[in-house]
Amino acid sequence: MSPDKADLPQGTLDLLILKVVARAPLHGYAIAQTLQQASRNVVQVQQGSLYPALHRLENRGLLAADWKLSDTGRDAKFYRLTARGRAHLGAEEASWRRLTEAVGLILAEGDAP
Amino acid sequence: MTWLGRLLRRGRLERELDAELRDHLERHVADLVAGGMTEAEARRRAHLEFGGLDRAKEDCRDARGTRWLDDLVQDVRYGCRVLRKSPVFTAVAVASLALGIGANTAIFTLVDSLVLRALPVREPERLVRLQRGSWTNPIWEQIRQRQHEVLESAAAVSDTRFDLAAGGEAELVEGFWASGGFFEVMGVPAILGRTLTREDDVRDGGPDGPVAVVSYAFWQRRFGGAADVAGRSLALNGVPFTIVGVTAPGFFGPSVGRSFDVAVPIGMVDRVTGRESRLDGRSTWWLDIFGRLRPGQTLEEANRALRLMQPRIREATLPTGWRPRDLQGYLRDRPLTLAPAARGFSELRGDYERPLLAVMGVVVLVLLVACANLASLLLARASARRQELAARLALGASRRRLARQLLTESLLLAVPGALLGLLFARWGSALLVGQIAAREGLVSLDVSLHWRVLVFALGVTLATALLFGVAPALRAGAFSSHEAIQRQSRAVAGEGPGALGGPIVVAQVALSLVLVFGAGLFLRTFSRLAARDLGLDAKAILLVALDAQRSLAPPAERGALYERAREAAAAVPGVARAAVSFVSPVSGMGWNRRFTVEGEAPLGDREQLSWINAVTPGWFPTYGMRLVAGRDFDQRDRLGAPLVAVVNQAFARRFNRGRSPLGCVLRREGSPERRPPPLEIVGLVGDAVYRSPRDPMEPTVYVPLAQIGADETWSFATLGVRSATGSPALLARGVAAAVGEVDPRLSLTFRLFSEQVGAAVTGERIVALLSGFFGALALLLAGIGLFGVTSYSVSRRRAEIGVRMALGADAAGVVRLVLGRVAGLLALGIGIGTAIGLWAARFVGSLLYDLPARDPATLAGAAAVLVAVGLLAGGLPARRAARIDPAQVLREG
Repeated sequence: MSPDKADLPQGTLDLLILKVVARAPLHGYAIAQTLQQASRNVVQVQQGSLYPALHRLENRGLLAADWKLSDTGRDAKFYRLTARGRAHLGAEEASWRRLTEAVGLILAEGDAP
Repeated sequence: MTWLGRLLRRGRLERELDAELRDHLERHVADLVAGGMTEAEARRRAHLEFGGLDRAKEDCRDARGTRWLDDLVQDVRYGCRVLRKSPVFTAVAVASLALGIGANTAIFTLVDSLVLRALPVREPERLVRLQRGSWTNPIWEQIRQRQHEVLESAAAVSDTRFDLAAGGEAELVEGFWASGGFFEVMGVPAILGRTLTREDDVRDGGPDGPVAVVSYAFWQRRFGGAADVAGRSLALNGVPFTIVGVTAPGFFGPSVGRSFDVAVPIGMVDRVTGRESRLDGRSTWWLDIFGRLRPGQTLEEANRALRLMQPRIREATLPTGWRPRDLQGYLRDRPLTLAPAARGFSELRGDYERPLLAVMGVVVLVLLVACANLASLLLARASARRQELAARLALGASRRRLARQLLTESLLLAVPGALLGLLFARWGSALLVGQIAAREGLVSLDVSLHWRVLVFALGVTLATALLFGVAPALRAGAFSSHEAIQRQSRAVAGEGPGALGGPIVVAQVALSLVLVFGAGLFLRTFSRLAARDLGLDAKAILLVALDAQRSLAPPAERGALYERAREAAAAVPGVARAAVSFVSPVSGMGWNRRFTVEGEAPLGDREQLSWINAVTPGWFPTYGMRLVAGRDFDQRDRLGAPLVAVVNQAFARRFNRGRSPLGCVLRREGSPERRPPPLEIVGLVGDAVYRSPRDPMEPTVYVPLAQIGADETWSFATLGVRSATGSPALLARGVAAAVGEVDPRLSLTFRLFSEQVGAAVTGERIVALLSGFFGALALLLAGIGLFGVTSYSVSRRRAEIGVRMALGADAAGVVRLVLGRVAGLLALGIGIGTAIGLWAARFVGSLLYDLPARDPATLAGAAAVLVAVGLLAGGLPARRAARIDPAQVLREG
């Protein structure tokens, strides 16, 4: 793994998945690609750990999945956000913002003379 | 989808998971190929970036939340396979647990229903009872008049049996006499019609005439639950009653251990029994008095109020015909005291509380021994499986996963044990109630299993399984597989988890010693009682209880009636002898009076008391009693002739200081107004037990039944019939017909005398039986425990023993080596057990007969039995050790 690629903080993978899927229903590979591209390759998700996370979210009722015909001509499993998932995403986003703001403030304080 | 749905659709989910992951990889490969990579390179790269495919699949399965169930099924299957491989281990563990759990549940259920549980009435904690036995009706009437000064309300009650038959063989139902307010005091409602009221409880019946209330069970049994039962007539002892209501189900009456069928107002007692008035009898003590405290009232307040009125009650109810000295005693008697009565009262409780508690102690010890057994079995297994567990840890199994598997295996032993225990408990408690019923007649106890104790016993078992099944195995897993394998090959005796086996076996031996010691005491008590010479020959005698309450014969002719019944019975073919007495021997019933022998030094007040019985001629030979001197009663001894008596040797020893009593004049104590006439002693008979085989031989005076006057006669008597052929049960039909011809209104109840004698030691028999059985079980378990630990240590010390033998130790030396350790464990266990046994002996002293609680011979016997079992259990592995081939061991090493 190259040094400029960061590991995800604990628990943020779920948040990112929800955010990505919120825009449009996607299959697993597309989710992985989107995460990588949108973060300009900074966020490196071990692809094997993406699926357990997806399945966990599905079982918690935050995501729903349908098998649909895809561009390859085969059926693929498309994940979409449920109403509960949307509410959860909203709450998580807000708390993430608060947290990063607070961390940012503290870091900025440390720079002051 | 719920986890259950996910579990059921596991096959589809697996296929989808496969397809989804394959889709991902295909897309990745396609992208990479589009970017200019070769197909093979792309595939390699895609797999690399994905990570472990199987690992991802496993994680996805975990995400389903059904993982634990999959594992459980797998563990159960595996556990069953492991248990099947060692059937003896499994059988012993399951059976001992079943017996331990079952016995505890059964006994505690009985203890609870007889001793602990409150009556099923409204607010039982407010119920109180007037202390110390029974009271006369005049006393009750005094209290009834003033009840509201003391309590919210009060009631009196007395157990009885009613005969539904018109005559001949009795058809008895259980019942009680109740004061009008009884059901109100108890707070027991009628589910049909009404209960008794104060208006019903007057002499010879209230406005509705003689009325009765029946129990729910009797209503169902006798009337098939007919809706119109209120208003129907029911003849009790030949007197017609009108049924006015049915009580709620679950209410069994005031006395625990009995049920009731019919309840009748106290005011009817004289009409129904036709005996000397019980309502006016000032020394007829037959009523139990209950009361209900006012809400918020304390027992002390009620007792203070009661004591204020006590002098008036006593003065208004002075017994007639008492000596002045005794009247003074009556006035100054212990203060009237109310005591809590939430649990009702029970004759059974008095008789069986201590035996049951002793048995409870025994079965708790048995459960401990069974748990110790389980513990040592599990320990031995855990150490045997250390290598397997270590290998699985090394291959990546998590410690939690292993713990869960071991727990499952322990549960596989505990759960069947508990289920079998449940069956055993149901059977056992019914059996015990049946045993008690053999003596007491109808016994009705609620023995629906007590869930609390079942949970307790299960809890103890599970804790044992957890502690000893899982913990040591995990400890074994705590070091690396490398280390585990090393330790295994080093095989140093007495190290590692096996070392725990020693203390457990010591505990087992100690507990077993206590149990065997107790069993020895109880068995010896019972065998001494059973083998005791009662002075009577109990074989081949049929007892016929005669009840003359409904006979038209006036009291003055009852003696003649009994005599005619005796003659009729004696003429029945197959009857060798027949005789009548008022008191049925060894029935628990007693009749005593104070006596003085003229010309002998006066005795103390207490010593003057002697048993008394009225008998017909031929009574002594009928019961196999020996006439030592003088004569038996005969036809000359009737009213008008000189009054005579026969005494037993115990009487002569005490009253005549061992001199011959023949010709002496015997005086019965009376009051100044009424001095009973003197009796001449004409015969001396051998001693016989009067009330119970536990009693010593006590002074007894026999008087001719024909010389009992109308004022003293009884309305019931016992006809003893000795069979000429030795099978007395066959006589019942012929005797019933013959006596029926004499007076069809005589009510008859049959019982074998041997049964009555055997029933008198029921408590002792139950305790001896159970403690013997459980003592043997504990012994077996201790033996298995010792065997297991010794075998284990021999197999671990194989190398050491092989080396010793190679260096010249002979077989005897090896046996000594192994048995030395067994002896050490035994000695320690026996020492601890002896200390516990001597301490615990204090609780059983009152249950023993003719035996000190710390009887050294019994203790020594128990220790010897344990040593024998221990040496046997240790000897087998010791012999195996002696046959170890040193050459082979050294090659292995």
